[in-house]
Amino acid sequence: VAGRVLVVDDSASVRRLVRGALEPEGYCVLEAANGRAALAVLADTDVALVLVDVHMPEMDGFALLEALRADPRRRFVPVLVLSVDGDEHMKARGRAAGATGWLVKPFDPDRLRAAVRTVLRRPAA
Amino acid sequence: MGPRSARPDADGLGWKEVTISVGELHAAAEPTVIRTLLGSCVSVCLWDPAARIGGMNHFLLPRSPAPDAEGDVLRFGVHAMDRLIGAMMKLGAARPRLVAKVFGGAHVLALRASPESVPEQNIRFVRAFLREEGIPVAGEDLGGTHARHVRFETATGRVLVRRVSGAGALARLAVRERRAAATPPACGDVVLFEV
Repeated sequence: VAGRVLVVDDSASVRRLVRGALEPEGYCVLEAANGRAALAVLADTDVALVLVDVHMPEMDGFALLEALRADPRRRFVPVLVLSVDGDEHMKARGRAAGATGWLVKPFDPDRLRAAVRTVLRRPAA
Repeated sequence: MGPRSARPDADGLGWKEVTISVGELHAAAEPTVIRTLLGSCVSVCLWDPAARIGGMNHFLLPRSPAPDAEGDVLRFGVHAMDRLIGAMMKLGAARPRLVAKVFGGAHVLALRASPESVPEQNIRFVRAFLREEGIPVAGEDLGGTHARHVRFETATGRVLVRRVSGAGALARLAVRERRAAATPPACGDVVLFEV
């Protein structure tokens, strides 16, 4: 479970890029195309970390964050937002909603890996 | 396509006009004419016909310096598309309704056509991206040797393409594109709130 990461993004291409950045580090990457699909995955799977986009159909990143923070079982799962939005207002909103961190796309794979390692408190590979 | 004088002028309709250049994008929920001039670059016009929201980007993937750097090139292309889709969804567009029209990727001036050339890489990327994302392509005008002036009406989804010749304009365009290809977009920052 320690290495299981759920990436939630409506873009299959972005999910593939995140998978490509994290799998070589030994993480097991699960995917969901929106917040609702993510909740379905999380209903029967424990993950160490959720990486989530903001703008998604059906259920966006903020709604997913709120749902996780309201769920006693998922309240403490770290959530990193991965968004094209980099303005301070959005970051503040993410922080208030319970995000653990905010990464602005396009992401540097090394910095993504470093952020994931820090959040999971894993030593550098 | 046809002579511009033969159809109602955008200005006459009171539509906003926006011109974008390489690295930029524009999305609009109000009727807007988005224009751009393309050489090797590619523009994708995305349209949500139900919401009448349209957007256009204009990007040039840098040549991959080494085979193992292809991931970088891919990342910047995905980002250019991701930004456009995100901007449209922010305005209320629905991703499953999006349709695409794709333009550019020409070998202008003395640029030699080859599978590894920048225009070919750009064309391959955009086709693969739209296929992977399940966004239907309603029209395309790609490749060739002519620069293109593209005019996209976000209210109707209609796109007019005009071939551009004229050595002066093409030379200026080529310089701009070469500069853009040499400077890929910077990666975004990372903030951890509570670790």
